[in-house]
Amino acid sequence: MKKTVYGSVAALGLGLAPAAWAMDDVTLQLKWVTQAQFAGYYVALENGFYEEEDLNVTIRAGGPDIAPPQVIAGGGADVIVEWMPAALAARENGLPLVNIAQPFKASGMMLTCLAETGITGPEDFPGRTLGVWFFGNEYPFLSWMSTLGIPTDGGDEGVEVLRQGFNVDPLLQQQADCISTMTYNEYWQVIDAGISEDELVTFKYEDQGVATLEDGLYVMEENLEDPDFVDKMARFVRASMRGWEWAAENVEEAAMIVLEYDDTGAQTEEHQTRMMSEVALLLEGSNGTLDMEDYARTVATLLGGGSDPVITSEPEGAVTSAVTDAAFN
Amino acid sequence: MLVAIFADLPRADGLVGRLQSLLAPLTFGATLLWLWEVTVRALEVPRVILPAPSAIWARILRSTDVLWVDFVQTFVKGALSGYAIGVGAALVFALLVDRSDFLRRGLLPVGNFLAALPIIGTAPIMVMWFGFDWPSKAAVVVAMVFFPMLVNTVQGLAATEAMQRDLMRTYNASWGQSLLKLRLPAAMPFIFNGLKIASTLALIGAIVAEFFGSPTRGMGFRISTEVGRLQLDMVWAEIAVAALAGSLFYGIIALVEKGVTFWHPSQRGR
Amino acid sequence: MRNLIPVLVVTATLIALWYAAVVPMNAQWAQDQARRAGQDLGFAALISETMTQQRPRLPAPHQVMAELWNSTVVEEMTGRRGFMNTGSLSNRSLVYHGWVTLSATLLGFAIGSALGVALAVGIVHNRAMDASVMPWAIASQTIPILAIAPMIIVVLNAIGITGLIPKAIISTYLSFFPVVVGMVKGLRAPDHMQLDLMRTYSANGVQVFGKLRWPSSMPYLFASLKVAIAAALVGAIVAELPTGAVAGLGARLLSGSYYGQTVQIWSALFAAAILAASMVALIGLIQRATLKRMGMAA
Repeated sequence: MKKTVYGSVAALGLGLAPAAWAMDDVTLQLKWVTQAQFAGYYVALENGFYEEEDLNVTIRAGGPDIAPPQVIAGGGADVIVEWMPAALAARENGLPLVNIAQPFKASGMMLTCLAETGITGPEDFPGRTLGVWFFGNEYPFLSWMSTLGIPTDGGDEGVEVLRQGFNVDPLLQQQADCISTMTYNEYWQVIDAGISEDELVTFKYEDQGVATLEDGLYVMEENLEDPDFVDKMARFVRASMRGWEWAAENVEEAAMIVLEYDDTGAQTEEHQTRMMSEVALLLEGSNGTLDMEDYARTVATLLGGGSDPVITSEPEGAVTSAVTDAAFN
Repeated sequence: MLVAIFADLPRADGLVGRLQSLLAPLTFGATLLWLWEVTVRALEVPRVILPAPSAIWARILRSTDVLWVDFVQTFVKGALSGYAIGVGAALVFALLVDRSDFLRRGLLPVGNFLAALPIIGTAPIMVMWFGFDWPSKAAVVVAMVFFPMLVNTVQGLAATEAMQRDLMRTYNASWGQSLLKLRLPAAMPFIFNGLKIASTLALIGAIVAEFFGSPTRGMGFRISTEVGRLQLDMVWAEIAVAALAGSLFYGIIALVEKGVTFWHPSQRGR
Repeated sequence: MRNLIPVLVVTATLIALWYAAVVPMNAQWAQDQARRAGQDLGFAALISETMTQQRPRLPAPHQVMAELWNSTVVEEMTGRRGFMNTGSLSNRSLVYHGWVTLSATLLGFAIGSALGVALAVGIVHNRAMDASVMPWAIASQTIPILAIAPMIIVVLNAIGITGLIPKAIISTYLSFFPVVVGMVKGLRAPDHMQLDLMRTYSANGVQVFGKLRWPSSMPYLFASLKVAIAAALVGAIVAELPTGAVAGLGARLLSGSYYGQTVQIWSALFAAAILAASMVALIGLIQRATLKRMGMAA
């Protein structure tokens, strides 16, 4: 039978739990399956941080065919975790998403190549086969390639792009020269499969100067006109950031909490603990408030990109500080 | 209501009659589309959830080039080649099985078990084995169409009566002759049943297999990518092409069947 | 029972072929790894290496069997979250995931069969339905259901329906079609002679249906129910892929694919096949009992 995640189960601490009808319901739609990438939210739920803010939070795991913007447009969630490129592209497509908080300061995206392919730098890419995730996650890659001026439709001058599945097999089976990985996840799957770090060449988007913001919290624009909703989100962001801070300090415990909420039983302790410590690195320097410089850099990266930019014009009203101001001041 | 009127019209002969028989389903379909359009507009369903048919149609007209490239990649290269290989292999295999009673009794239960495998689940494995391009999609299709085809053909080859087989024997017919003159023709209704089932499976298999890894073209690739980009009109345009291609494929096989098995009761009037 | 020996022989042959294929399929990775480590693999080392890989391209049969055993019996008896320790099924066990999938399958199958029979009755008795519904039923099956499954789930989530129902709807969609086709054939099975006989008895439509058409459609019904239950299972599994991969055999397939755990993928596939085969066998038993009682024992 399906376990529904209720926030009220966890806090069997001291004092009386606030009466259920005083609680505000919040549904959070994650970008991907239950894993330490979202530890902060699970920790806040498990440790009762949401409850202390009078929130009854439901966390919905994502998956390969779940587009969070579509879920929020259909009313299936109040707030979603999404990457900024996809959110801005959705906004340009007529779905007014607004960033209310940015827990992740740095980008965890990288391209991982086998050293034996002889690739040493981006100038070696033409003529190669690269694995890329799609489903809204292709924007950072496409931006990077257009910054480099490399076409993505094959040939000697361009790169052959494969729509990579969710695993790292294309690299192991040598079907691709390089694949997309996250610093906190797929990269370690390559290592775990038995390829050592010195046999790999990695290109972090951060180092290439094309990093875009990941894992921000987004809501629908029209809801922000309602002061009650803004207040609810402020409490949600505050509790979530408490969860993130706790998770960054207690890596192993946080990983175990994530494992408890993983219904598939597929996640392992070792992998989640390592993911948590890598994710903690990405959190450094963010209290949840969006840094406007990072935002400007993301927009510039997406707008740059000669023939096929991800967004065509400077977005307006795509971010707000109203929620984080209310949460932290 | 209209549908009922069309269906009850007396049947004319020849071409007119054929057009008449098309009228009822077309009216029904048009009604469905009209309902869809009206509902979407009345309830102001967001474009990223369900676009209106008119928007989808506009998108089809705008993107014929992309749709064509995807169609060739998925339907012609993936589905059709897999279909041909799978069906051919199943027919050859059925004849082999037919020669030996021992094989038949051993293979059919095992075949039935394997047919119950959710073949869709082998798609990620096939991508690992045959690479990202269309061969892996064709492999999934082969696996999907093989078993229904095999089971149907074996059943069909057993569908003759003892009397008929004895007659063949009195003619001193060899195994090959009796196969060609009696048992294959008698098996045709079953074989076509298998072909029809396999035709709907083939396209779905090819599309679904692309969800697990593909080059940057193909119907399955486009569907999943455009969902992520919230271009739902493009998604539905691909689905429309898929449904049309699948129905035509099915229709062509049904037409050939009419020609080949004109003698069978189910092909006569009611 | 006389089929037992042939079946065993065929199964043994398949397993032998499978073992033979394991070595060449997995050789490349073994040799790549040896090369990276600067070693040279001998033939015997290659064989043992290919049979025991963590992420084989093709797992050996004994690896799949071991995984099946471990993720059912062993996990429930001794696992940290297993049945013996917690009193409830472990989310690491295939028993639990199989049950999740089975419940959606059975619900979808029940709705789908009922819908299929109802449509077939309508098609046989109403010319308008016959002319319009059938082509669309065929067209409906050419729509790649996996493509719209996520949308269906998103839309249903939006109106507050989650959990079992969306999965069952996908199952219904896939399982009603074989029932419609089979039942239309079955209800039309009586020939003119029999229908004329009913007319001479001046039977009304309901009586013709109850005493002639319905009984003579039974063999067709059961044949298509067998197809439908397998289709319902595929539907439930497909529906589990996009629903956030929370639980069920589909979720196991997906997470297996996501973490490159090929052995897990294969064991989930086999669990699904065992589930399907047992359900088909169960319908076969019901068929024999029913036809016996109706005096039509095959």
